[in-house]
Amino acid sequence: MAVVVLAAGSGTRFGHSTNKVWLPLSGRRIISRSLVNASRNFPLGRIVLVIHPSDADLANVTLEREVQGVRVEIVFGGATRHESEHNALQHLAPAIRAGEIEVVIIHDGARPLATPQLFLEITKAAKQFGGAIPTIPVDSRELERMQRGTVVRVQTPQGFLARELLEAYNKAAIDGFIGTDTAACIEKYAPSITTLTVSADVSNIKITFPQDLAIAEHVLALRRYRD
Amino acid sequence: MKEELLEVALYCARCNSETSHRLVYAGRLLVSTTCLVCYTKNEHESNDLWDAYLKDLPHRIATKPLRIWKRILRAPALILWELPKATIRKPIGMIREFRKLKKRN
Repeated sequence: MAVVVLAAGSGTRFGHSTNKVWLPLSGRRIISRSLVNASRNFPLGRIVLVIHPSDADLANVTLEREVQGVRVEIVFGGATRHESEHNALQHLAPAIRAGEIEVVIIHDGARPLATPQLFLEITKAAKQFGGAIPTIPVDSRELERMQRGTVVRVQTPQGFLARELLEAYNKAAIDGFIGTDTAACIEKYAPSITTLTVSADVSNIKITFPQDLAIAEHVLALRRYRD
Repeated sequence: MKEELLEVALYCARCNSETSHRLVYAGRLLVSTTCLVCYTKNEHESNDLWDAYLKDLPHRIATKPLRIWKRILRAPALILWELPKATIRKPIGMIREFRKLKKRN
């Protein structure tokens, strides 16, 4: 199996701002926490980190200092999330075609609180059903009556059978389709794949707002910095 | 990591867009964030921050030997060169952290 961790966003459009994945979170960078959690249960899996080319030096230093014992392959991302996923899949394509990788897990590097257990559950479900995504329910008061029970919040890691995923992204590239997430591309180009929703945890937040950093610090303290 | 002040792209609810934010840390805890477009500032409530800092400190101290050991294994020459200086600088750094927290009381 392979895990692709996406961290190719750029803060450069705001001058000299850093991409949030490189921020420290309770003593270790956000991306380091994401990588360690992603790789914990897959000692033989391939771990691919997708970064912006300008972050290459920072990535090498961070991996050396904070992600020891994990072999991480670095791939440069594109202008969109979809393009970054495509680049990572092309990097893995020879192994996928050779049948060495059965499942590919795609994870957002800005979700440092996704637990190793969640990665395991997603992988198992993807192997069994073809695809798996973690979801949490939406407060029904936020929805129209017709939408209740049918709308969920989707998180990452998202897992899919490798061959089908690669094929879907190759077809999307020919069509020029750009999906919002991995599941969107699968839905369009591999409709035969059943994607199972796996019940996830609300604490698996994506660092987006400044307040999310304080929440993540608090969650990590509650977990005694274990995950 | 020694970052005490960083600039990073985060989503500002007031600007309703991703903007540059200035982040201030004390030790490894976030003290405040400021949007550099609308200057909206989010701060830890001071008692809360002290509480978090004091809870975090034993963990920092307890894990320090292991972290130093990992650095020794990674680059022994560098750590032997840096350790004496870091040992002298550490109390100064801690005093700075305490001051930063105290200022907010």
